[in-house]
Amino acid sequence: MQEYSSQAAYDRGEAVCVIGAGASGLIAVKNLRENGFEVDCYERDTVLGGLWNPQNQHSALYPNTHLVTSRSQTEIPDFPMPDDWPDYPSATQMLEYLTSYAKHFGLSEHIWYGSEISHLEPVEGARFEVVVKPAAGSAARRLRYGAVIIATGHHWAPNLPSYPGLDDFRGTVLHSSQLKDPSRLRGKHVLVIGGGNSGVDIACEAAVNAASCVHSVRRGTWHLPKYLGGEPADYALARLNSRPKFLRRFLTDRVLKGPSRLAERMGVETPDYGPGDEEPVRNGRYLEHVGDGSIKRRGEVARFDGFDVAFADGTETRPDLVVLATGYQPKIACVAPELLGGTRDEPAPRLFARMFSPKAQTLAVAGLVEPGVGVLPIVHWQTHAIARWLQVRKSDPERAESFKHQVNAESSQHAVEHVDPRRRLVVDAEEYLASLGRIIDTLEQEPAK
Amino acid sequence: MSLTAWVRRARTPEPVPVRREIAVFEPADLFDIEIKDNPETNPVLCCTGDPAGAAAFNALWLKRIASSGRYAAAVSVRGQGGTPTAEGGPEARAHDVVQAAVTVPRQTVLMGHGEGAAWAALAAGRYPAAGLVLVSPQRVPKQLPKPVGEPPVLLVVSESETQSKEAQAVADEYGITPLTFAGAPNDIFKGPAAEGLLDTVLSWLDAQKG
Repeated sequence: MQEYSSQAAYDRGEAVCVIGAGASGLIAVKNLRENGFEVDCYERDTVLGGLWNPQNQHSALYPNTHLVTSRSQTEIPDFPMPDDWPDYPSATQMLEYLTSYAKHFGLSEHIWYGSEISHLEPVEGARFEVVVKPAAGSAARRLRYGAVIIATGHHWAPNLPSYPGLDDFRGTVLHSSQLKDPSRLRGKHVLVIGGGNSGVDIACEAAVNAASCVHSVRRGTWHLPKYLGGEPADYALARLNSRPKFLRRFLTDRVLKGPSRLAERMGVETPDYGPGDEEPVRNGRYLEHVGDGSIKRRGEVARFDGFDVAFADGTETRPDLVVLATGYQPKIACVAPELLGGTRDEPAPRLFARMFSPKAQTLAVAGLVEPGVGVLPIVHWQTHAIARWLQVRKSDPERAESFKHQVNAESSQHAVEHVDPRRRLVVDAEEYLASLGRIIDTLEQEPAK
Repeated sequence: MSLTAWVRRARTPEPVPVRREIAVFEPADLFDIEIKDNPETNPVLCCTGDPAGAAAFNALWLKRIASSGRYAAAVSVRGQGGTPTAEGGPEARAHDVVQAAVTVPRQTVLMGHGEGAAWAALAAGRYPAAGLVLVSPQRVPKQLPKPVGEPPVLLVVSESETQSKEAQAVADEYGITPLTFAGAPNDIFKGPAAEGLLDTVLSWLDAQKG
């Protein structure tokens, strides 16, 4: 602590510190400003937009990334995307959208670029001291804030699997985030490992660009096309949720019957849980590419061997390029895991209502969920609730108390924690939105007179 | 906007998109060295129930708003002026206003006149307007949404309307007292009455934070 203790922390009063200027961070800044808070937002990169900005060195974009959820289900509720945009906008349009959001609400002046939060700790009065480390040169600074919102996202620490012989493999191995340029696939024999959305999208790119494409998938997932019954699939499924409960299951099964029969025909196992229990794969082209043989599906990779890759079923392939579309690990580096309800050995956060720290009243995380629908609206309502909570906490102790009970109750409802680490962030969108709605109602309802 | 209202809207079909006519007048368009675009002020987006749509504001409004240093815009909703006709009631027209609002470079004030006031009020329930100005509102739906982001609201009615039920209902809805202007409710686009009305609106806007 010696390096920055020479100087007392600069006190920013009741201002709120937002960490990260990606989609979640921007929404947090806007909603906090709207509720009258001073905000300092710190972004370690030099650009906004987080994973949607290809100039961000941690960007997760791969060639031809598009939204997998449709425009109407993904846009920020109070700032719609232009309605002449396609149903599934591209990453470029997404960045344009986020940039215009930031510009429209004047968010840029609150963002400090090239500043990483290296550490934060609670100090007296439920406040926080943060250590800001600039990317270049000058020494770290210490500042005190009334509250901290972590919006660092969970798509920047690549999850890299290990296979026997991978280190000595003679071809090229890249994580999906390193691929960047689609021309790297051209004319190559490509092996894509990973059956999530990125793996499936990259396999489709390779199917049309590469000399051949083998796709290694370890287990079954739900495959949804991008359109169902002439409507964007997520919209069509969400609409079913406004039907009476007893009909929902029946109608959902009926709508999904065609796609799941096709998936079965292409050798995709249907998982034993429903399509809402894990981020489903949403790609209309993939199964057709499997059907015309331009993507060859294989099982798990057993080992790498010189130029060859052997699969668990005993077959082999000789790829020039291996793409590890194996996803990301959720990682929050700037804060001690205990503050977010984790432990040293089990650092995964356990938050109240998936956003509030169980240890500190003024610490919250935005966007650490995988709801299986567009995340931006969820983050909007999360940060709306957080901003309201920070107001109520000060101004209305009585309501703050009932809010605490409420949040506790909401969190115990979702106590069915997924043990599977890949599904730890998964929430049922329908239930979670209802729970957010109840939390916001508690914070906003007219005080009893 | 409440979460439930958003959920309901996200699950109803979106109005058919139309190519909207948007008239824009920026302070720089005045070629007056004295008038500078003031980025501290909020732009103003106007709409009216008049079938001329955005063009109705060309005569006086846009220039006057721009000469106060604000970015001024007006939109023709579906079926007005240069915007093609398309299906949809007041909700679809409010959608047009919101879609126009997000193309304005900064957070904008929504100004609606006549039936346009109803659309602006509906739009303010979905978009965090910097302010909401309702001039002689007509055909306002019974249930108006609570404006998002709690913007300041101004209601201006003509002298003949002060006692009308419509104006009373809107005033009660927002808990505000209406201001009055001399002249007929549909005579707001040019002439001395319009000048007086504009002065009222602009000085109210200047008195607000932005």
